[in-house]
Amino acid sequence: MGTVTEPPPEGPDLYAVLGLEPRASREQVERAYRFCLGLYGEGSLATYSLLEPAEAEEQRVRVRQAYEVLADEQRRRAYDESHGFLPPDSPVLPFPSSAAAVPAGDVPAILSGADLSRIREARGISLRHIAAVTKIGLRFLEYIEQDRFDFLPAPVYLRGFLQEYARLVGLDPRRAADAYMGRLAGKK
Amino acid sequence: MALSVSEAFPVAAHTRRQIWSIGGGKGGIGKSLLAASVGWQLARMGRQVVLVDADLGGANLHTCLGLPMPQRTLADFIQRRVSSIEEVVTETAAPGLRLVSGAGDLLSAANIRHLQKVRVMNQVRALDVDVVLIDLGAGTSYNILDFFLLSDVSILAVVPEPTSIENGYRFIKSALYRRMRAAATTDATRRLVEAALDPKSPLGIRTPVDLVARVEAEDPGSAQALRREVAAFQPRFVVNEVREESDVAIGHQLVAACARHLGVRASYAGFVHHDDAVWQAVRRRRLFMADAPTSRAAEEIRQLTRGLVKGESLGNGY
Repeated sequence: MGTVTEPPPEGPDLYAVLGLEPRASREQVERAYRFCLGLYGEGSLATYSLLEPAEAEEQRVRVRQAYEVLADEQRRRAYDESHGFLPPDSPVLPFPSSAAAVPAGDVPAILSGADLSRIREARGISLRHIAAVTKIGLRFLEYIEQDRFDFLPAPVYLRGFLQEYARLVGLDPRRAADAYMGRLAGKK
Repeated sequence: MALSVSEAFPVAAHTRRQIWSIGGGKGGIGKSLLAASVGWQLARMGRQVVLVDADLGGANLHTCLGLPMPQRTLADFIQRRVSSIEEVVTETAAPGLRLVSGAGDLLSAANIRHLQKVRVMNQVRALDVDVVLIDLGAGTSYNILDFFLLSDVSILAVVPEPTSIENGYRFIKSALYRRMRAAATTDATRRLVEAALDPKSPLGIRTPVDLVARVEAEDPGSAQALRREVAAFQPRFVVNEVREESDVAIGHQLVAACARHLGVRASYAGFVHHDDAVWQAVRRRRLFMADAPTSRAAEEIRQLTRGLVKGESLGNGY
């Protein structure tokens, strides 16, 4: 029996709530908070016809809760640590990593799940964040990074997942999907 | 059986010309002036441009350009009085800018049959120009949606008023559902798309996000095709008649709301301030780009057009 992955803490991705990437600066957090207050404010032209009043209020609560954590240095540090995010003041590449040095548009011919994981981590992006933004199940993202080919969906779906993943971590979506799928074809 | 959107309007691989369209759902928000001024600016940038007035039944793009009613219009082509759309192309005063007028006030033209529409679209695609810029009428009829979906660059004009924003969202949902309906491969998924189109449906599908989730649950094999359609649908907002700073921010908010609550990747192409120079030029039946080239609106149109050509947007607003 393989290792069981401990599920990450439940709850919304606070960065996604404010439309931010992890490692956003304090100033970006402030600007995103003000933007979201305007977006979901009472009478907002952009959302009043899309959301019921109760839904807009729910969004405002989520925005305030996210801001309260991300604007507080200590609480943010604890949140980042619990979710595997790098702190905002850390260098982009905290450790030498050949995979992490891949420029955004330059993808090697072959990509393993471990390669993807290293690139993602070097950019300070959690799997939970990718799951929240793309709506791809966290479990599938874990299977991709663990190269658990037998658990992966049909190629047509997997390609879509890989492209979404690649887009978020800054890789060329089509090339990244080809690089991973090519390796998969040899294993299955 | 009706043709799907993609079957009816295949992308012509042999051509580098682009089709742009300007829609918005609501009338009176300045679509025709935007089309005329963006077309004018494209021609100034050296592009060969044909403006197509597809506001059938309410066409007045010729007036925006300071032209009298053209002798031949799109109605002549639709009713087969001429065989080629080239025969109804009218020169304008601006080098490189020509017009296919929609004037003619034919009630039947506003309700053209599907095959007539396909004939128009095929000939529009065959025009030997760099950019075909289509000015769409108000509303969300299939004619309008199909022209919008046919485009390489789909521009959605709004003004910062509730009615315009509501119609803008309705336009987005209607266009996207039409795409998704055409992409549905099973009866089960087609039924779900139709339920999404019906606001009184007991299934309670309110948004494209709800629809994809529902298809995922009931017909998972079809969900990926729908996701592809959602991903490929990328309207570009232009906020017209901006009067204050907060109006500019509405474009950013619309993009965020589309992404978060409709699952649509829209972008914010630009904005144009309300400018007295514009209506003064309209009253003189002149285009403000020529009549008041130093006006704020003219400068904003130049910025907007350059951004559209380069595929740039105004960022996320924070």
